Amino acid sequence: MSQEPVVSLRQVTKRVGRHTIIDNLTFDVPQGEIFGFLGPNGAGKTTTIRMMVGLMSITNGEILIKGKNIKSQFEQAIRHVGAIVENPEMYKFLSGYHNLVHYARMIPGIPKERIREVVELVKLEDRIHDKVKKYSLGMRQRLGVAQALLHRPSVLILDEPTNGLDPAGIRELRDYLHYLTREEGITVIVSSHLLSEMELMCDRVAILQKGRLVDVKRIQEFMNTDDKAQTFLIEALPVEQALAIVREVEGVSGVKPVSEGIELIADRAVIPEVVSRLIEANIAIYEVRSVRQSLEDRFLQITGGEKIG
Amino acid sequence: MVSLILNENMKLYRRIRTWVMVVLMIGAVLLGSFMEWHYDDKSMQGDGWRTEIADEQRQMQQGLSSPDMGDDTKRYYQDQILINDYRLEHDIRPTSGTMWDGINGSAELIVLITLFTVIIAGDSLAGEFATGTIKLLLIRPASRFKIWLAKYLSLILFSLMLLCILFVVSVLFNGLLYGFGWMNLPLLEVNGSGQVAEYNMVANLWKTYLLNGVSTIIFVSMAFMISSAFRSSTMAIGISIAALFAGAILMELLQAYDWSRYLLFANIDLSQHLSGRPYQEGMTLSFSIIVLAIHFAVFNLVSWLVFTRRDVAA
Ligand SMILES: Nc1ncnc2c1ncn2[C@@H]1O[C@H](COP(=O)(O)OP(=O)(O)OP(=O)(O)O)[C@@H](O)[C@H]1O
Ligand SMILES: [Mg+2]
Repeated sequence: MSQEPVVSLRQVTKRVGRHTIIDNLTFDVPQGEIFGFLGPNGAGKTTTIRMMVGLMSITNGEILIKGKNIKSQFEQAIRHVGAIVENPEMYKFLSGYHNLVHYARMIPGIPKERIREVVELVKLEDRIHDKVKKYSLGMRQRLGVAQALLHRPSVLILDEPTNGLDPAGIRELRDYLHYLTREEGITVIVSSHLLSEMELMCDRVAILQKGRLVDVKRIQEFMNTDDKAQTFLIEALPVEQALAIVREVEGVSGVKPVSEGIELIADRAVIPEVVSRLIEANIAIYEVRSVRQSLEDRFLQITGGEKIG
Repeated sequence: MVSLILNENMKLYRRIRTWVMVVLMIGAVLLGSFMEWHYDDKSMQGDGWRTEIADEQRQMQQGLSSPDMGDDTKRYYQDQILINDYRLEHDIRPTSGTMWDGINGSAELIVLITLFTVIIAGDSLAGEFATGTIKLLLIRPASRFKIWLAKYLSLILFSLMLLCILFVVSVLFNGLLYGFGWMNLPLLEVNGSGQVAEYNMVANLWKTYLLNGVSTIIFVSMAFMISSAFRSSTMAIGISIAALFAGAILMELLQAYDWSRYLLFANIDLSQHLSGRPYQEGMTLSFSIIVLAIHFAVFNLVSWLVFTRRDVAA
C-alpha cells in the first residue's frame, strides 16, 4: 500500500460574504486511519466536510481525494467517498431498501448482492422493507452508514455518526470502523463533539476552532504531552493536615483540596516521598492514584474552554 | 443517465401524491365527458345531422346577406357553408353526436396536466433541499447537470404519461357514451386555396395536444427554475400556478399596448395561429415560437446554472 495520503487539504479557505468560515486548513489523512475532527459548535467541521464532498465550493486552496481534485475531477474523486453529512436524511416515502437501490443505481457496478450485504452489516434486515418514515433515528443512522458503504469507498466520511445511536450501537459502530480500517484498509474521517468517543475511536485527531486548525496529533500524543508534571489524587484524612504537609514537599508544583481528598500536580518521582511524609505524620491514606487527563480536559485546555463560534 | 431517470421515476411513482393526481386526471375526463354528453343536443345523433346541417345552411345564408357583419365573421360563415356543402355532398357527418365530439372536448383538460406537472416540478428540486436528501444525492459520481437533466426529463415523461391517459380514457369513455362509430370520420377544414380538405381526426387531436403541450413545458420550466433558484416548493408552485391562471387575464388588460406581444403569455397559446386569430394583429407563428424559445432557454439556463453552482448548505 502506498503511503500517499488518501485525503489531503491544501490551504483550504472558505469565505461566505465577508466571513471567513474556514481559514487556511492544511493537513493529510493517511490511509487506513480513523481520523477525528474535533471542535466546539460552529468550529467548521461540517463546512470542511461539505467541501470535501463537493457540496460547497472552495474559496481558496484545494482538496485531493486519492490524488483527484474534488473540484476539477469531481466524478473520479467522489467515487472513492462514502459519506453522511449532518443527519442521514433519506427519502421518507421510500422503504430503506429502495433508498439503497436509489443510491446503488447512481454508481455503476453495484450488484443486488451488495445491497443485501450492507443491510446485514448494519443489522437492518428485519426493517429494511419498511418505509423510512417509520424508522427511529438510530435506524436511519444505520441506513446512512449502509448507503455510505454501498460502493466500497476508500474514504468514509461521517459527520457526527454517533448522534442518535444507543450505547450498543455506538460500540458496534466503533468496532465496525476499526474493522474497516484494520481489515479493509479504508480510511475513516469522523467528526464529533463526543470527546470521550473520539478518544476510543480515533487514531489521530485534528482540532478545529473558529475555522482554524489548532493541532493535529496522534491520540496518544495528546494524552502524554505533559508527561513530567502529572496530576495525582490522594485520599487522605485529615485533609487540612495533609495539605500542609504535601505543600512542603519539594517538587510539588500545586496542591488543592478536592471532594475526595487532595489533588496535587507533581513529578511522578516525588510521589513516594509525599506518601512517606504523610505516613510519618500519621495521616490515614486510603488511596493514591494518578488522574489521567482525559482528551476532554486536554481539549478544553487547548481551546481555552472556548465559547461557541 | 438512464439509471438517474429510473431513480427520479421511482421517487415519483412510489408516492401517493402522484397517484392521486392520476386518479384526479381520470376522474376529470370521466366527469367532463359525461357532462358534455348529458347536456348534448341529442338531435345530432344518428342520421338527424342532415336536417340540422340543412337548417344551419339556411341561417348562415341569411346571415351573410345582412349588411352589418364583420369581416372575420363573414369569412367564418363562408367557410362553414363550404364545409357543410361538402358534408352533404360526400355524406360526411359532423363530429357532433359522435365520440369525437367528446374526445376533442376533453383536450381542454390539458390544463390539468400542466397544473399537476407544475406542482411536481416545483417540488422536485426544492423538496430535496427542504428534506436534506439533496446532500446524499449530490455526493455520487454523477454531475449536477445530469441529475438536473434527469429530473427535468422525468417531469416531461410524467406529463406525457398524463397525456396518454387523457387520450386513452377519453377515447374509451366517449366510445362507451356515444358508441364506437365513425372511427374514420375525417376532419374538414378549408385550406389556404379555399378548398375543403379532409384531415385525419386523430392526427389533428394530437396536434392540439402537442400545441398545448408547449405551454405545459414552458410552465414546467418556469416552476423548475424557481424551484432551483429559491429552493422553496411553495414559492415555485405558487408563482407558477398564479402565472398559469392569471396570465390570460393579464394579457387581456394589456392587449391595447403594442409591447405586450413580446410577453410570454401573449405567445404561450400557439393554437391562436391555427385559428387565425392571434393576440395582436401581425403576430405570426414563427414570432411566437421565437418568443417561447427565448423564454424556454432563459428558464432552463438559469435553473441549470443556479443548481450546478450554488453551495448546498441544507
Ligand atoms: N451557509 C453559510 N453561510 C454563512 N455562514 C455559515 C454557513 N454555514 C455555516 N456557516 C457558519 O460557519 C461556521 C461553521 O459551521 P459548521 O456547521 O461547519 O460548524 P460545525 O463545526 O459543524 O458545528 P456543529 O458542531 O454545531 O455541527 C459557523 O459559524 C456557521 O455559522
Ligand atoms: Mg456540524
